[in-house]
Amino acid sequence: MTSRHMGAVRVAAVALAGGLALAACSGGSGAGSAGGGGASDSGQKVKKIKLVAAEYSKDHTAAFWKQFADKYKAKTGTELEVQVVSWDSIDQTSSTMIQNNNAPDILNLNAYASYAKDGLLYNADEVLPASAKSDILDAFVKSGTYQDKLYGFPDLSSARAFFYNKAIFKKAGIAAPPKTWDEFEADAKKIKSLGGDTIPYALPLGPEESQGEFSMWLFNNSGDWKKDGKWTINSPENTEALTFLKKLTDEKLTQNNPGKTNRADAFNLFKSGKVGMVVGFSPLAGQLDEEKKVDYGVAPMPTKMSEPQTFGVTDYLMAFKKPGNQEAVKAFYDLYYQKDQVNQFIKAEGFLPVTKSGIEFFKDDPKLKVYLDTLPNAHLTPTDDPTWDKVKLAVQQNLGGAVGSGGDPKKVLDDLQKQAESGS
Amino acid sequence: MPDQQSSVVAAGSPAATTAGGADGAGTPSRGSGVRTRGRGGARGDRASLGSALLWLGPALLLIAGVVVYPAIELVRASMSKFSITGLRLGDAGWTNYTNVLDHPLLPTVLVNTIVWVVAVVALTIVISLGVAQFLTKDFRGRKLVRWAIIVPWAASLVITAKTFVMIYDFYYGTANLLLSKFGLGPVDFLGSDTWIMPSMILVGVFVSIPFTAYVFVAGLGAIPRDVYEAARVDGASPFQVWWRITLPLLRPALLVAAVLNIIYVFNSFPIIYTLNDRNPGFSHDTTITFMYKLAFKSAEKDVGMSAAAGVFNVLLILVVVMVYLRFTRWREETA
Repeated sequence: MTSRHMGAVRVAAVALAGGLALAACSGGSGAGSAGGGGASDSGQKVKKIKLVAAEYSKDHTAAFWKQFADKYKAKTGTELEVQVVSWDSIDQTSSTMIQNNNAPDILNLNAYASYAKDGLLYNADEVLPASAKSDILDAFVKSGTYQDKLYGFPDLSSARAFFYNKAIFKKAGIAAPPKTWDEFEADAKKIKSLGGDTIPYALPLGPEESQGEFSMWLFNNSGDWKKDGKWTINSPENTEALTFLKKLTDEKLTQNNPGKTNRADAFNLFKSGKVGMVVGFSPLAGQLDEEKKVDYGVAPMPTKMSEPQTFGVTDYLMAFKKPGNQEAVKAFYDLYYQKDQVNQFIKAEGFLPVTKSGIEFFKDDPKLKVYLDTLPNAHLTPTDDPTWDKVKLAVQQNLGGAVGSGGDPKKVLDDLQKQAESGS
Repeated sequence: MPDQQSSVVAAGSPAATTAGGADGAGTPSRGSGVRTRGRGGARGDRASLGSALLWLGPALLLIAGVVVYPAIELVRASMSKFSITGLRLGDAGWTNYTNVLDHPLLPTVLVNTIVWVVAVVALTIVISLGVAQFLTKDFRGRKLVRWAIIVPWAASLVITAKTFVMIYDFYYGTANLLLSKFGLGPVDFLGSDTWIMPSMILVGVFVSIPFTAYVFVAGLGAIPRDVYEAARVDGASPFQVWWRITLPLLRPALLVAAVLNIIYVFNSFPIIYTLNDRNPGFSHDTTITFMYKLAFKSAEKDVGMSAAAGVFNVLLILVVVMVYLRFTRWREETA
């Protein structure tokens, strides 16, 4: 008898659950337009602070932060709650937290400038011990500075390098890794002539991180995203670089559909031994060493300039202004930038240091030499400009289209340039 | 025997419960429709307001907490201007709504949504009709087959979708290994603009069949045997029996299956999001993944605009639910 009702209830429940899911996706609404401030005028000190950390690896990230929280507690008496979030969902997590006026005290992310612009963050003068500040590499101080103040405190860094499969190079009769773009293209063609399913170059221009791959190429063509405060996305150098990538695609010197290949997919192809060349970074080397399947070499990036350039990335640990948390946050950075902490983290995750003392710490590791030499001069994306936070997303969603069939590199870059100019 | 079957199914799956409600209304022999509707009022011993509230309270609280409150928040968010960080900057009026409507790729997304919903629901129903007929037949190992068909339903959608990514992969996918053996591959199932939608639809159908098939199994089990006997006595061919007896008597179950599937499939997020992961832009998104990308992945990265898209989505679902209610009233009238 009640079955009819159950049917109706079920439909209602399904429909409502649908609505609910939508609501959940969009998050709650903002509870007022709080812009931070008022941080220091509260006398009440917090007993606990919260860190939202990005998950660099399943094995090491949570383990590091757990021991860190224990040390922090022992040292300061303040509790450190750690929430480790995957890169996939960290944007969503942080955005929802801020919408609900429930920001963490410290957030680990690959961007900071928009947060600084919104007035949510402490700057270095407020929470970063002077010894730590002076230890941070100049390149990262520059990228972490928004409107003359340092807000983006780097947690670790990486730099790209050129990876090649030695077995494939040998088979194709290539003696040494290519130094110029012409050599690169010639070597790619040699690998292609091997036939089979060997892929000369794995080119990831899919939405995951296409700005990284493209950066590596444009920096080696004396291009840049921004020069002297002006967007230069569609500069002749950049257009030439993207046109070159399109040419590689058209000549089938890359894997299938590079505009729709994510970085992880390209790495997997290289790890399987099918790929001759790929732009990688130290964590890829770590995985290759562990699997011992591919005999690979690491070299500087082929370049059109006199010296090979590299693309560096750093992520940030930013501190949110909340009543009474300033001292606890300062103590957090004091501990994090201790040599044994920051470098232990970086070592476990297989990344590169962000401090001058860190370069000393790692300099005897022969595997890292190729990166460490270039790190202080690495080019970074303009993370100090809040507009970049949106431009980056636009690049990720559109760059792949340039190398697809019928894609027009010039037009794609023109559109991105327009978008960047209208955003700043 | 048939009764036994349907009760077994009913105990095992919530879907069958729904279907039971459906065929209960459709079967002429039951007269409970009127009584069910007139509950409380017709009996004359109406409960006092206090005790009614006591009974309704938990449900009302639940509805207020998980439906009304989020809905209000959704509308509020859709009328607000947000920073890329998620910070609310102030009121936006209707800007977010006009931004959604003016989005250059909205037409593409709507077409994708229609193709996706219509194709998945239609294919699911057609295939499930066959599966259900098969499952009501008596054969060795039927229990095993019935369980096997539930599996795609029981597995998490994200896991199913990731499994299919591995099946479809251009270089390692099992589908392409097979196709290459026959000299047909490899096909870029997930990267080619032609193949991506059919590939996603296949997965959508795969995960929708179990529920739908069980709705039909229950529906078939409730069709009285004597009708079939009468048909056989009158010399009806198997097709005639199916076309003139099975299908009309299955109509309520069909309606339920269709409408519930429309809602499920319309709201389906994991399949499209996972399989379409490598494709830049919005060209293969439905309104649900469009909404998500607006908030977190696209250059818009605008929670307010996404919330406005969410409001549009809810309105679309409401239309579907209203259509459903209309159908149920129609059934009551004809019962």
